[in-house]
Amino acid sequence: MKPSSLKYLVGQGVRNIWTNRIMSFASFCVLLVSILLVGFTVLVTMNINRFVNGIENKNEVIIFLVDDVSDETIENMGNLLRNTQNVSSVVFYSKEEAFEDMKKNYENADELFGYFDESPLPDAYKIKVSDISEMKMTIATIEVQSAAMNAVYHIKSPDEFANLLTSLKSILTLITTAILVALSVVSMVIISNATKASVFARSREINIMKYVGATDTFIRVPFFVEGMLTGVVAGGIASVVTWFVYEKVIEILSQEMTLWNALGISEFIPYSSIWWKVSLSYIVIGGLFGAVGSSASTKKYLKV
Amino acid sequence: MVEFQDVSVTYGNGVDALNNVSLKIKDGEFAFVVGPSGAGKSTLIKLILKEVSPTSGRVLVNGFSINKLKRRDIPKLRRTIGVVFQDFRLIPSMTVYDNVAFVLRVIDAPKKYIRSRVPYVISLVGLKDKVKCYPKELAGGEQQRVALARALVNDPALIIADEPTGNIDPELSFQIVQLLKDINSCGTTVLMVTHEQELVEHFGGRTIAIRDGQIAFDQVLPGADVEGRI
Repeated sequence: MKPSSLKYLVGQGVRNIWTNRIMSFASFCVLLVSILLVGFTVLVTMNINRFVNGIENKNEVIIFLVDDVSDETIENMGNLLRNTQNVSSVVFYSKEEAFEDMKKNYENADELFGYFDESPLPDAYKIKVSDISEMKMTIATIEVQSAAMNAVYHIKSPDEFANLLTSLKSILTLITTAILVALSVVSMVIISNATKASVFARSREINIMKYVGATDTFIRVPFFVEGMLTGVVAGGIASVVTWFVYEKVIEILSQEMTLWNALGISEFIPYSSIWWKVSLSYIVIGGLFGAVGSSASTKKYLKV
Repeated sequence: MVEFQDVSVTYGNGVDALNNVSLKIKDGEFAFVVGPSGAGKSTLIKLILKEVSPTSGRVLVNGFSINKLKRRDIPKLRRTIGVVFQDFRLIPSMTVYDNVAFVLRVIDAPKKYIRSRVPYVISLVGLKDKVKCYPKELAGGEQQRVALARALVNDPALIIADEPTGNIDPELSFQIVQLLKDINSCGTTVLMVTHEQELVEHFGGRTIAIRDGQIAFDQVLPGADVEGRI
């Protein structure tokens, strides 16, 4: 195909949007609503995941060490923990620190604990794991590997919390995936019907083109361009709508920040950090669905 | 050239549309195809355009074997044929100029050629002043002339006119057939399907009658307007 022909066909695609404006507008609306539905579901899911991850990060396993353990053993224990898989952070919590922290909880601490020359509490390591569902496994590994050191007195881990969070995460993943899949399927069906209706309105035109010897590609290019442009515009407008609505919703929700903080949410995902990802995905998905939907719908009418 | 050799077409629903039809239309000929509805005239045209394939027998059109023609090569065949339909089949969203130019754009013709050829062909059918009009702004006879211009613009070897006068006034019908005759006199083969006996009698020439999927009659008839014709 010559560049001049391609230019003509692209021009036809652009022109067709206006010529068939009612059908183009219908396709545009369907694409816009579908993108918004799926987009908002993804954004809500992302925030829920952030919330769950926030809770997950609050997990803390405390490894109490036996009394009178040497500095070298403490050091070795620290290295062992740092080199253990799934351990994301290791902090040494000395017996003195623990004692000071405990005293802070009592008004008459001096009176109560005055007769202690030194801290009665053990030294400890506070560790965090990256994947809470693997926490039990990680602790077992630590127990086995540190057995030779005879340094571990007791390990305190939030087992129930870990189990709860793990099942909560899998349920959430299941629900959000199901919603996303359902929405995507529904969107695809609606988009496909809208483009089919749009193409059907011009089936006679396609038929005529075939009779004068136009190839399938020649007929499809304008439909492809038309669908792609409609999708790109729908994606662009959807990203503006998302930006506006998302910011507003976050603004309203942020007024109750104390409540969210209590639930473990320090902040929602700011739109400024994701706007380009959202816009790009919207535009690419819109363009792709529009173009493929539109040119694929011509197939039926090309068989003459 | 169009050649049918013992061609039969049976549709999926069991209807025998054509039965052992053998026919040859030489280059530069003008032939009327007549017959009642359901006789097989449309199937004949569908075969020439490779809209359907023969169930048995062989069809040759402008050097293409319809039996062996692959789907992707159908456009190549159709570019050698100009088709005029009863219902005009103009693209409603295109002007007269664009409807005619479309055929040349399909074959990647140079812009310069399109710019000179299209107005020339439109003027041949007498619609010079209507180039910017849309089909809905034209009368039936004018629309059919646009369809004729579209069929002509590519300078095809064969023009098929399927009931081209079916939707226009009788007076204009004669004009359309005369146009087809003029085109034929320049060397283009013309095959015109019609059921208007009056037109056939008036113009005369080779007339092929189809009945029940078979050729019932194939003779050259004398015309009323042309002296010296058989």
